[in-house]
Amino acid sequence: MSTLVVSLALLAGAYLVAVLESWVSTGRMSFAGPARSGLALLGRESISPRQADRVFFEAAPPLLLVSAVFAAAVLPLAPGLIVADLATGALFVNAALAYVMVALVMAGWGPNGAYAMVGGFRFLGQLVGYSMLIVMPITAVAMRAESLLTTEIVTSQASLINAIYQPIGFVLFMVAAMAVCFLPPLDLATAPGELAGGVMAEYTGWRLAAMRLARAALVITLAASVTVFYLGGWIGPVLPLWAWTAAKTLVVAAAMLVVGRYVPRVREADFLAWCWKLGIPLALFNIFYVGVILLVI
Amino acid sequence: MILQTVFLAFFGLAAIWFAVIVFHTSSMVRSALALLFSQTAIGAMFLAMQTEFLGVLQIMMMATEMAIMAVFMVMYMMDPGGLSGMDMTHQKNLSIAAGVIGTVVAVGAALLVDWGPIAGAPPPEAQVHDLGIEMMERSMLIFETAGVTILTAMIATTAIAIQSRQTIQEGENE
Repeated sequence: MSTLVVSLALLAGAYLVAVLESWVSTGRMSFAGPARSGLALLGRESISPRQADRVFFEAAPPLLLVSAVFAAAVLPLAPGLIVADLATGALFVNAALAYVMVALVMAGWGPNGAYAMVGGFRFLGQLVGYSMLIVMPITAVAMRAESLLTTEIVTSQASLINAIYQPIGFVLFMVAAMAVCFLPPLDLATAPGELAGGVMAEYTGWRLAAMRLARAALVITLAASVTVFYLGGWIGPVLPLWAWTAAKTLVVAAAMLVVGRYVPRVREADFLAWCWKLGIPLALFNIFYVGVILLVI
Repeated sequence: MILQTVFLAFFGLAAIWFAVIVFHTSSMVRSALALLFSQTAIGAMFLAMQTEFLGVLQIMMMATEMAIMAVFMVMYMMDPGGLSGMDMTHQKNLSIAAGVIGTVVAVGAALLVDWGPIAGAPPPEAQVHDLGIEMMERSMLIFETAGVTILTAMIATTAIAIQSRQTIQEGENE
């Protein structure tokens, strides 16, 4: 039952992300837009490139979708509304998201195209930057909850949400989350206008539709993880509990998309330098700071 | 219990099958990612054996490690796409002999050793807790020493690999 509800919520969320994404890029809010362009993509021919690595080319979009769905499976919509409440939930989110990079490297190498391959390997470089900024802030969150259960993490924020309790971790995790779902300004893997779509350049027709669906599901999954880890998940007055998670998730997704409209694309080398020289020391400080607060108060 | 054994066997066979592909293919990226999925299957074996933390950790760590390895294999091998029919295997007779002996020893150990009664796995929360206590008490020195050693080695290699500004400028002047 909860599996069905969570899957439908994920699908609806992915659709709304697509609506928001077209709104931030064109300025027009059209609720039918993604459905229309999705149908149009299904109607078009899906060309498979010459001399492609067929296994990687075909497997990459499903793998991207699977990793987003698996990460979403351990994030609670409300108490009891969770697919798998794993004892290692917060770690499992990392494990599932690591395969986003594998999928993009496969999508980059598979089609035997220059733009795609540059995009795939760029994303691998991007992972070297953001992966620590996913793991270390989650460590501090788990320290406060004294548990890796995602439901425990939500209830640990009953008195004060983590975004205020550990603001440094929140900001770092937000940036890293945007890097995971390669949203602008960190869309180095696709880089429209420079790499002509990068990892998505060689995908056409229904394969491109699958790739875009996976990306939208990824955005909503990351927004949900920010909600669960930092914004107190279902905690809130009056409204039903699931509505709080859903509303917060959509607001986070909208915020992540709007940032890309105003910030220029970051260079790969700059991103890596900032992540390692600024991000990781700050993340370590965040762990130390949360530890001190936990011990003193 | 039967279901557990079936899953264990399934993921075990998957791990072996992907391991065979590692040497069967001539594309470096395929080889690296086959090794990744072989390791992921081993992580799934951990999950089938109800050691949740180890399983998830294995599945998480290997994704990054094997992808980095793919980069190095593409960089250093002369034929990364495998289009010129490069052979991944060498010293075949020695390898076959080593493989056969290794298999016999492993299967023999699995079948002949008396493993005693099978202990039930503690609940996953208890496993996470116990692992944490183990790593922060008895094994702390080992883990910290290993961690600092690896970190030092990483920083040292990077420092050696970076060209100093002075050398770059001298190179430009030449």
